[in-house]
Amino acid sequence: MPTKESDEARLRQAGRRRRARYALVFLILLLAFCAITVLNINSGSVRISLPEIARILFRRTGDAAQVSIIWKIRLPRIFMAAILGGALALSGFLLQTFFGNPIAGPFVLGISSGAKMAVALTMIWFLERAGNASSAALIAAAFVGALLSTGFVLLLSRRVASMSVLLVGGIMIGYICSALTDFLVTFADDANIVNLHGWSLGSFSGMTWDNVAAAGTIVAVALALVFALSKPIGAYQLGEAYAQSMGVSVRRFRVLLILLSSVLSACVTAFAGPISFVGIAVPHLVKRGLHTARPLVVIPATFLGGAVFCMFCDLIARTAFAPTELNISTVSSVFGAPVVIFMMLRRSGRD
Amino acid sequence: MKKRILAFAVLACWCAALLCGCAPSAKKAASDTGAPEIAGLTYESTMQLQYANCFQIYRYEGGYDLIAVSDGRNYLVIPEGGKTPRGADGYIILQKPLDSIYLAATSAMSLFCALDRLSRVKLSGAKQEDWYIPAAADAMAAGTLVYAGKYSEPDYELLMSSGCDLAIESTMILHTPEVQEKIEELGIPVFIDRSSYESHPLGRTEWFRLYGVLTDAEDEADALFGKQAEIVQSLSDFQNTEKTVAFFYVTNSGTVSVRKSSDYLAAMIELAGGRYIFKDLGDPTTATSGVTMTMEEFYAAARDADYLIYNAAIDNPLGTVDELLQKSSLFADFKAVKEGNVWCTGKYLYQATDVLGSMIQDIHTMLTGDGSQTELTFIHKLS
Repeated sequence: MPTKESDEARLRQAGRRRRARYALVFLILLLAFCAITVLNINSGSVRISLPEIARILFRRTGDAAQVSIIWKIRLPRIFMAAILGGALALSGFLLQTFFGNPIAGPFVLGISSGAKMAVALTMIWFLERAGNASSAALIAAAFVGALLSTGFVLLLSRRVASMSVLLVGGIMIGYICSALTDFLVTFADDANIVNLHGWSLGSFSGMTWDNVAAAGTIVAVALALVFALSKPIGAYQLGEAYAQSMGVSVRRFRVLLILLSSVLSACVTAFAGPISFVGIAVPHLVKRGLHTARPLVVIPATFLGGAVFCMFCDLIARTAFAPTELNISTVSSVFGAPVVIFMMLRRSGRD
Repeated sequence: MKKRILAFAVLACWCAALLCGCAPSAKKAASDTGAPEIAGLTYESTMQLQYANCFQIYRYEGGYDLIAVSDGRNYLVIPEGGKTPRGADGYIILQKPLDSIYLAATSAMSLFCALDRLSRVKLSGAKQEDWYIPAAADAMAAGTLVYAGKYSEPDYELLMSSGCDLAIESTMILHTPEVQEKIEELGIPVFIDRSSYESHPLGRTEWFRLYGVLTDAEDEADALFGKQAEIVQSLSDFQNTEKTVAFFYVTNSGTVSVRKSSDYLAAMIELAGGRYIFKDLGDPTTATSGVTMTMEEFYAAARDADYLIYNAAIDNPLGTVDELLQKSSLFADFKAVKEGNVWCTGKYLYQATDVLGSMIQDIHTMLTGDGSQTELTFIHKLS
């Protein structure tokens, strides 16, 4: 018969093993992050040696063109891939928690469709009449479009209690936005259609430090708020009734969850266009790696995992067929889709 | 009420952002006000243009030129060894010699080749297989011209490491403003070629003279442009044949894409002695050059056209009438098909800005020839 002491020892041992696993996952992610950062800085059309890169990074001296390549081209791009990749994965984790469905992605609520519709409207209507628009206008359009979709979902969530109905509602909003985009495209010229298609596949190309500052600020605030919600998220994972019994205002919490998730994915869409599969694949991989869904652990790991995944995809996108650059969704889908298929197979096997 | 205020604020932010991008240049278009006064420079003359109305060139003492383009962008061209004048703020500075150019505006390549200034273009926005200009394709094969990514995704690193001193873009860049801003952030001036907005076909060819200024080949540019203008002038006394021509292609979705009536291709048909079948098609004030219509609409309008010219710019060139009928059997009812007057363009047409006069000559030959000529420079008859 097991004694109280042996039970405690087993629990302590399990706790140690759990912490060791967490530490190992974080260590792997951090090492991967560092390795991919170094690879990204060191890869490009122009060969720059590692000592030269180090000198440019730490002393800002060297050949002027190489300094510009590192500081104005590679670094902002790396930062954006990390920030937006992390944001997208986190957004996916929040929505999966919200719907209790592991294949709910950040764009399931029609966010990318809303953003695409607004970008199409800006490109086709305003460019046609005003002649030009700044990148800030396209970013603002995508952001507004994404948040408009979210607004409709929030309105819907006030009237609908069922998660599956809300999910269907989000998908329907996506369809409506896509239909409106197609309507606009019908009257667009070839140049607009080509560019809209290019935008909808996403890219980290041409990122600037201004983009890094803007996206970094939005994502940092959202990340801090998500961290602050760790406890209610943990309670919600155990069921709405349990969360309510723990004093969580479920209605307000759900609105906050949708809003935070939407702001994160809207930010990604606005700056880099829609990026497929990161939001679905990364949280799943991270949770499997950690063997837990505890928000305090999963949130930072998901963010880090998303950053690593996106930086890796971006590395392939820009180097595989250089100087031709692949769209980021082309690469992320190739690596992300098998994960989703695997998840579905496992799920159906369990069922 | 609060919600309305919030919605209004969001809308206002969006509009403000758009306006930032859409705001015209602070300087008034030079073509409206005459030569702008630039502190430190003395105005000399204005280039007399014959057909082009999308740019104007003002000459200043010391070899300085100001290129004012109709989109409000003003480029101050500084001669080799010249200093930037103190009144240059607000102008886009192009410091000569411009000998490491990234050319993403494919229509300008033929002008560089004809001017014998291909060596100034070091980076290409099109791949070797996409060039229909032999000199450009040969230069890429030889490695003197390097592919540096398309206009929407240029290889910024290659641009920087090659010492690129000018990026020439088509108006496609306006759809990807972030790319233009990034290139400019790297210190590379961006010139936007608006020749496609010229309403007169020779207006496009007159851009020869602009590139002549940029590459110190003004005499060559004048001579080459004069030759094309002569071809058109030789047709000026010719009475219009009143034969109608439809210029079109069938899209993958089965609709038909035609040019609007104010487009330069419609003008070429008129100059060649024909009548474009669509009289008032499309809004002449918008930037769009094409109009997509249903097959039914096209059938009703172009069924009795004397000539059909299939536009193979996007689609593949056709060789036989059967290939056209495979796109839609309705074409069998067309007068031009019945009479064997169906022609097709080659891919070269849209890159051959330097010899648009010859394209007009081709259409003229098509309209007035005895039928023996079936292979012209830009168009061929379907068998």
